[in-house]
Amino acid sequence: MEKKEKVVVRICVGTACFVQGGADLLLYNDFLDPNVLAGCEIEGASCLQSCKKTCDATKAEDKPPFISINGRIYGGVTQERFCKLLAEAVNA
Amino acid sequence: MLELNNQYTLMKRRLQTEVLKQFFAGTLEKDADKIPFIVIPKDRIPNRCCIYKERAMVRYRIMAFLGIDIERFDDEMKPLTEYVKEVMETDQPPAPSLTTISTACSACPPNQYRVSDSCRGCFARPCIANCPRDAINFINGRAHIQEERCVKCGKCMEVCPFHAVIHIPVPCEDACPVGAVKKNEAGYVEIDHKKCISCGRCAMSCPFGAIVERSGIFPVLKMLASGKPVTAMIAPAIEGQFPGTLSQIKEALLNVGFAKVVEVSRGAEVTAQREAKELKKRKEEGRGWMTTSCCPAYLEIGNKLLPYLKEKRSDAKTPMGYTAEICKSEDPGSFTVFVGPCLAKKIEAARDPNVDGVITFSELACIFMAKGVDVREMKKADLGDTSSFEDCRGFAITHGVADSVMRRYDGPAPKVLPVNGVDKKAYTLMKVWEKHAPDADIVEVMCCEGGCIAGPGTVVKPAVAMKLRGGEKAATPVKSMSK
Repeated sequence: MEKKEKVVVRICVGTACFVQGGADLLLYNDFLDPNVLAGCEIEGASCLQSCKKTCDATKAEDKPPFISINGRIYGGVTQERFCKLLAEAVNA
Repeated sequence: MLELNNQYTLMKRRLQTEVLKQFFAGTLEKDADKIPFIVIPKDRIPNRCCIYKERAMVRYRIMAFLGIDIERFDDEMKPLTEYVKEVMETDQPPAPSLTTISTACSACPPNQYRVSDSCRGCFARPCIANCPRDAINFINGRAHIQEERCVKCGKCMEVCPFHAVIHIPVPCEDACPVGAVKKNEAGYVEIDHKKCISCGRCAMSCPFGAIVERSGIFPVLKMLASGKPVTAMIAPAIEGQFPGTLSQIKEALLNVGFAKVVEVSRGAEVTAQREAKELKKRKEEGRGWMTTSCCPAYLEIGNKLLPYLKEKRSDAKTPMGYTAEICKSEDPGSFTVFVGPCLAKKIEAARDPNVDGVITFSELACIFMAKGVDVREMKKADLGDTSSFEDCRGFAITHGVADSVMRRYDGPAPKVLPVNGVDKKAYTLMKVWEKHAPDADIVEVMCCEGGCIAGPGTVVKPAVAMKLRGGEKAATPVKSMSK
């Protein structure tokens, strides 16, 4: 069987994301399913610049904290959403 | 207590950032009343009954951020711009540190145990057998708690095999260690300020955000704008609160207008030295046990409720006290601002002529966001020679104060008893100590469970902070999984 490429996950650790809940995502070792974790390569990222584009956003998905999965950016990422998004990406 | 990061704290930070943005842009005195509409736009799906109530709450939170004592000075006819003008002209008195928003209060039902639908009306009936007050009888084949007899011990809940007994607490009353928070006759929250020790537990527990801290940020903003240099005294707990190292945090502070940054660990070293010396002296004189004196909420317990503790606690000043002393002697022309995780520090600062202002980490985070300062992108400021007081950064964590004192203690190791978090139980214990001395030479008291890193003014959960504390750890908060 062909070895699957790892999903590249970048957690924004710019101050705005970190302060608005992104810091909780750094505990991914404690709350993420180990099977999903094994399929991901998680790294920290400097400000993804998304917060500047969507400062007047009203929808939660357009607000910090942001992460990027294989280059695509997602906003309003809670621990719960983080697990869901990563599981989807790994199982895709 | 609630998880630190929840919808309420995030909303609070958002609107505080908005206020600060307007303040820095110079439009706050004109446009303050627009903020509730900016934060709660009309197409929002409300999390309270309606967006109008949400906006009213935003207005109250802005008032608290301005430092207004909402309990006493809430005038619904008065626009926010008027309040801003007042606050810009005269500083609000620092006490009381907490105030209540009675319209936010949900008037929770009184503290009670109740039998839910899950009761199977079993034959063994352990609830009845274990109730010390015969408060449970059977009605329609199901257990029923007679409220007037129930003493709320919770035994029935523990023993029910179906988890049919539930506890319905009043979160704020439950959280207050000293019984200062009570529902009034109408069922709404009230704080007895004569008893309140400003620990902030109630504010961290209320899921409706009905108890709020009165911020001290505006006096500090005025100092920063005055042209006179302002020294930031950063509490040891700051490390790990931001996505950067201590030296980057220092650089970020310089970036937002502070002229100088001094670690409070420097003063903590003096506190530890004096406490070690005093402990030895007390032992020699046979004066019995001693407690630490660095937690300001604990100091308030002695000042307001258990006067015997005034003699028992060390005479040493708090780390903030010594740090401010050092700052004022080094730069007599400077303002000194304590940046910490603590609400009670404001009360302590009001008594200390060397401290000019107090803000929390959370408020600092809002300043960073409003000014677009990214801690992670900061260059590294020189922290100077920290070797002598580096270990005192541990003052922020439970056991840390006692450890620092022990390291400076000369002689056989004394017995240490850490009080990790002052809840109702710990407070009762303290009352008992007056008659029955604790089995220890030194009692380390921290009102927040886990230490200052769990304080009400923090930005991140203690678990995250611990992950980022120490050396360069915060520079790479996420290690790549492939390695």
